[in-house]
Amino acid sequence: MVMSARVAPRAGAIGARRARCATRSTTTTRTTTRASVTAHGPTSCHGGAHLTSERKAELEAICAAIGRAGKGITACDEGPGTIGTRFENVGVTNTEENRRAYRQMLFETPGANEYLSAAILDPETLYQKSTTNGKLFPEVLSDLGIVPGVKPHLKVYALPGQSGATVMQGLDSLAMRLEEYKKAGCKFAKWRSPMDIDIANGQPSELTIETNMKDLARYALICQDVGLVPIVEPDISLKGDHDLETAVRVNLKVQSMLFKSMVDHGVYMEGALLKSNMVNPGKKCPINYTVDELAIANLQVFRRCFPTAMVSANFLSGGQSLEDACARLDAINKHKTAKDPWNLSFSWSAALQMPLFELCRGKTELPLKEMGELYIAELEKAGAAALGTYNRNGKEGDHSAK
Amino acid sequence: MDARAEALRTIAAALATPGKGVLAADESTGTIGKRLATIGVENTLEQRVALRELLFDAPNCAAALSGVILYDETLRSTGKGGATFVEMLRANGTIPGIKVDAGVVPLPGSPEETATAGLDGLDERCKEYYDLGARFAKWRAVLKIDEARGFPSALAVAENANALARYATICQRNGLVPIVEPEILMDGAHDIETCLRVTRRVLDAVFSALRLHGAQMDGMILKPNMVTAGSAHPSANGGDDVVAEMTLRALRDVVPPAVPGILFLSGGQTEEQATERLRLMNRSSIPRAPWTLSFSYGRALQASCLKAWGGKAENVPAAQAAFFARCKANSEASIRP
Repeated sequence: MVMSARVAPRAGAIGARRARCATRSTTTTRTTTRASVTAHGPTSCHGGAHLTSERKAELEAICAAIGRAGKGITACDEGPGTIGTRFENVGVTNTEENRRAYRQMLFETPGANEYLSAAILDPETLYQKSTTNGKLFPEVLSDLGIVPGVKPHLKVYALPGQSGATVMQGLDSLAMRLEEYKKAGCKFAKWRSPMDIDIANGQPSELTIETNMKDLARYALICQDVGLVPIVEPDISLKGDHDLETAVRVNLKVQSMLFKSMVDHGVYMEGALLKSNMVNPGKKCPINYTVDELAIANLQVFRRCFPTAMVSANFLSGGQSLEDACARLDAINKHKTAKDPWNLSFSWSAALQMPLFELCRGKTELPLKEMGELYIAELEKAGAAALGTYNRNGKEGDHSAK
Repeated sequence: MDARAEALRTIAAALATPGKGVLAADESTGTIGKRLATIGVENTLEQRVALRELLFDAPNCAAALSGVILYDETLRSTGKGGATFVEMLRANGTIPGIKVDAGVVPLPGSPEETATAGLDGLDERCKEYYDLGARFAKWRAVLKIDEARGFPSALAVAENANALARYATICQRNGLVPIVEPEILMDGAHDIETCLRVTRRVLDAVFSALRLHGAQMDGMILKPNMVTAGSAHPSANGGDDVVAEMTLRALRDVVPPAVPGILFLSGGQTEEQATERLRLMNRSSIPRAPWTLSFSYGRALQASCLKAWGGKAENVPAAQAAFFARCKANSEASIRP
């Protein structure tokens, strides 16, 4: 089945600005050929052929920066409502200033940039300023060598007839919003498609997977067109009691569909990054697995479907504790061979931040200095795990039946 | 199940040994007849046996060859010395393989394109081939580029990918490592970018089908075309470095690293082109190309050898020397420094 690779022309100034489907060049200088991109013909799967070589080089440079060995991503892209809940849980008032000051700590804590290659921001944060120097946060991050990116606002809705499985809304106005975020200094974007394994209800079904992965592919195409690197995030949750073999099977199915959709849509694979869940048995799975078994399962999935054109996979934490996540990332990197050429690292929100929120209990103000110290200690662990040099305590990272 | 998976893994890894490649000597009786005709040799069983014996017995060539693909007749044949060809190859440390497809047929629904026949009874034939000593198999799917007519069509891609996947799983079930060959012909006047896109699309469909059919990725070998301009395109014979780069980029987008080796077909390339382009791929600065990159050549290994032989016994040493030259050059080209 051949996917249409043609991006629908957009109305208005933005759409008119783009040259569309140039006549096919007869030269063979591949760097400047603008070959036609026919919708259904043999020339779909065009791998970013509509992008100029300068644009491709930009995207590759951003990917290389984000995929630096031993560094990872701090994901601080919770919307005001989501982070509000986290604040309120520990008695902190959800004000814009608290959100700003908290994020400033996540960016500017001295030494944080040793372990951070990038940061994912909520759109609100893009327009907030540092009290250190009055600069806007994207510029602050860039100065620190941390690539700034954004999660555009997305809203789930339930796919009818799919037992609660969802898709994300957000494609319609995406190009316009991304243009704004690019002007604000962002170099990449992130789009998350959550799924649950629910074997009894046949989820994730073919439809759930196909719909979500095609949306991710289209989002990726739009990002690259605007000049932002797309991070694609297929997030299969820990919910359930399925075993590791089932998890491997489902992850392989989901990720294969994702990469196939991306290739079919003509995404430039060298200019896109993966943020996937780690492959794990369900939280309630009654079988024990060692951290090494989990690591091998992760590598097995990647070896069977993850294109080596892509530079890096930065795993999400998805409810794992920092210690478990570090132990598992570390084991993956320890088991990595020369035939596993991707950078394998972290893109963590809850794993890094929940312990920081705990420090706020009973305090009248955000204990920023204390939070910063714990944050650095956490980042040291994460950085070590990304290099395969972490020493876990006891059985951290093993899956033990509860 | 695990023992068989491990056996397949071991054979596939052996076929993908850096510095070695595969000799495609699986020409059907009809096809080899055409080659023999070009050197004025009669297409008899005796001559076909003589040719293969010349190749398999050539001094110092076995070191460059991890495997040889045979045709059914050859797999069952005995050399003049009395040893079967399977025994001869094994004695040299070369793995015998077998072509199992039955050639191309017009594809209903798009009769100017083809499907490959041979799935019926394949399970039984694989069992027999295994007992005869084969440890890997080959199936060739053929696609062509013709943008004006929309070739390869979605139908041709889907049908050939599906057949390749089914062939692969049947082989693996019988202990044979499948060489998966989706050849996109060089015929045509299309530019290299077009070939890149089509190759990417075809390989993507092939690996999607392989995954759907549950094929064991580390127990197979891919035998693709290199990405080149069409033979009638003005740049058809230029830019070996561009061929190398475009080929690697196509592969990186869609070939999973679990596949241990990518052994290219030579198609219509000259012996020198096929060697040079392989050499450049192995010396490319393009990162993250983890598979062994080597050769599975027929014409590109045999052309000058055939010419030197001319069907005459007294020419055998010269023919073997010509064959050795190609084996050595391709062996060196398949090492990554």
